[in-house]
Amino acid sequence: MRDARTPFAFVAPAFALLGFVLLSPVVYAGWFSLQRVEYGAPTGFAGLLNFRRLFDSDSLLPTFGRTALHTGLSVVFTIGIALALAVWIDRLRPRLGFIVQTIVIVPWIISTVVATLLFRWVFVNDIGIAAYFIGTFTGEVSGILTEPGGAMGLLVLVSVWKRIGYAVIVLLAGLKSIPSELDEAARIDGASGWQIFRRITLPLLKTPLLLTAVVLTLSNINTVETPLILTGGGPSDATRTLAIDVYERAFAVFDLGSATALALVMFAGNILLVLAYVRLSRWRA
Amino acid sequence: MSAATARRPMGRLVQALVTGLLCVLVLVNLLPLVWGVLTSFKADSDLFRFPPVFFDFTPTLAHYERVVASGFLGSMGTSIFYAAVTVAATLALALPAAYAFDRFEFPGRQALFLLVVACIPLSLGAAALLIPNYVYFVEIGLTNTWFVLPLIYTAHQLPMAIWIVKGVIESIPRELDEAAIVDGGTHFDVLRFVMLPLTRPAMGAAGVLAFVGTWNEFVAGSVMVDAPSLKPVQPMIYSFIGFFGREWGPLTAAATLAIVPILVAFALLGRHIVSGLTKGAVKG
Repeated sequence: MRDARTPFAFVAPAFALLGFVLLSPVVYAGWFSLQRVEYGAPTGFAGLLNFRRLFDSDSLLPTFGRTALHTGLSVVFTIGIALALAVWIDRLRPRLGFIVQTIVIVPWIISTVVATLLFRWVFVNDIGIAAYFIGTFTGEVSGILTEPGGAMGLLVLVSVWKRIGYAVIVLLAGLKSIPSELDEAARIDGASGWQIFRRITLPLLKTPLLLTAVVLTLSNINTVETPLILTGGGPSDATRTLAIDVYERAFAVFDLGSATALALVMFAGNILLVLAYVRLSRWRA
Repeated sequence: MSAATARRPMGRLVQALVTGLLCVLVLVNLLPLVWGVLTSFKADSDLFRFPPVFFDFTPTLAHYERVVASGFLGSMGTSIFYAAVTVAATLALALPAAYAFDRFEFPGRQALFLLVVACIPLSLGAAALLIPNYVYFVEIGLTNTWFVLPLIYTAHQLPMAIWIVKGVIESIPRELDEAAIVDGGTHFDVLRFVMLPLTRPAMGAAGVLAFVGTWNEFVAGSVMVDAPSLKPVQPMIYSFIGFFGREWGPLTAAATLAIVPILVAFALLGRHIVSGLTKGAVKG
């Protein structure tokens, strides 16, 4: 190696970009959040004013609660269904498995905007195809999207539907890395399918499962598009999550001060998840 | 043994039920997509018919004409431009970085690679990163430029691309690049003539992922640029919701058009996508 600077020259452009776009804005936002903000522009040091205003508002705690509910339910259902699908696909003939896998990925690969829009059209009140099917079973056509509980339920449903493909891919990769000799040995010893799943497959899938949980939590907490397009946060705040709260503070109410403060709080939460992710991903340089 | 035999008929039934349930799940999975595409071809009289009809209607392109007249193709062109710049920049930055991480020993290597891994999920934190990004880029005057979105998107896609490409470089024998160096080549020659051809599938996978990620991005696209000529496709669809209101014909037509490039990429490079996703199956 003739020149010790070569590797730095090779990584420098990448890190210049990452530093500029992902890291330096956070530093600037830290300064910005301590300023008095008028008409979108900082006008002088204000201490923790923005954070105090943020934490004093009565709406913050319920918003935290709804975010936790939405994210918690979405992650649990996504992983549960994806695990069943992955185990099933893993047992199919490779060609058929590939086809099923491809179909399962589709909602994930199309944009959240389009996915949520199409989902809303299925469940749209009165004339939606889902309302029709539900109506034929229950005898009444109800507006799911205009009931608070129904709206949250649909928000969870669309979040699960959108991200199952991702979870299936990670879990399937995990399943394929389990040596088949383990299953065979257990089968010869007389273990049932359920026992094999419970005692062998599941423990060996622990890392992919946790990794999926971390990434799903991160993406559900931060999704703006889903509530924005499905319900706009309504009816009457029933689906107002942190992500849409921060988005609307900044771009609907134009309160950039408290929006920045809330974004930094969320960023701190994201960092915790990122650390968990880094630990789980077993990276090595 | 006897217990296993006794369980078998029940087991078969349960298994058939489970398989049936999973098949239904896979089909229901595609229902919103199929229903949306069908809707986009229905005249208004068929569209609002209740009970809904699946195939019993005369297809029309009226909604597509309205969407095209509203300038949707222009937004698609803008998004294709953003995606092309992003893919090119991502791959151009990822290859040398991945090469350096795998083939060189240098101070800070571990720490820097840790940073790359940490940035993979970080770019998912759209809501949390968006506001800092926005206030900072307003301050330094980058909003409303043609390059601000490719800049942000490249930063979002780059960590994953480095991860995927590095994974493949690991499996390329070191003798190949060492031989090139012994023959008098520079490290740049190694990149150009050894790494670039041999990492092509990985670059393809990383490139497709970057394309899909850029095409599908919404929040940055909706706040960083205002001029209609700079608006990418996803914010355009969102503004259609306000513009067309409850007119689901044009809305589903726009959604269908926005899916086409993704499905084309999927059809042409499907295996690459799945393998890329599997290699770097870390993004949500």
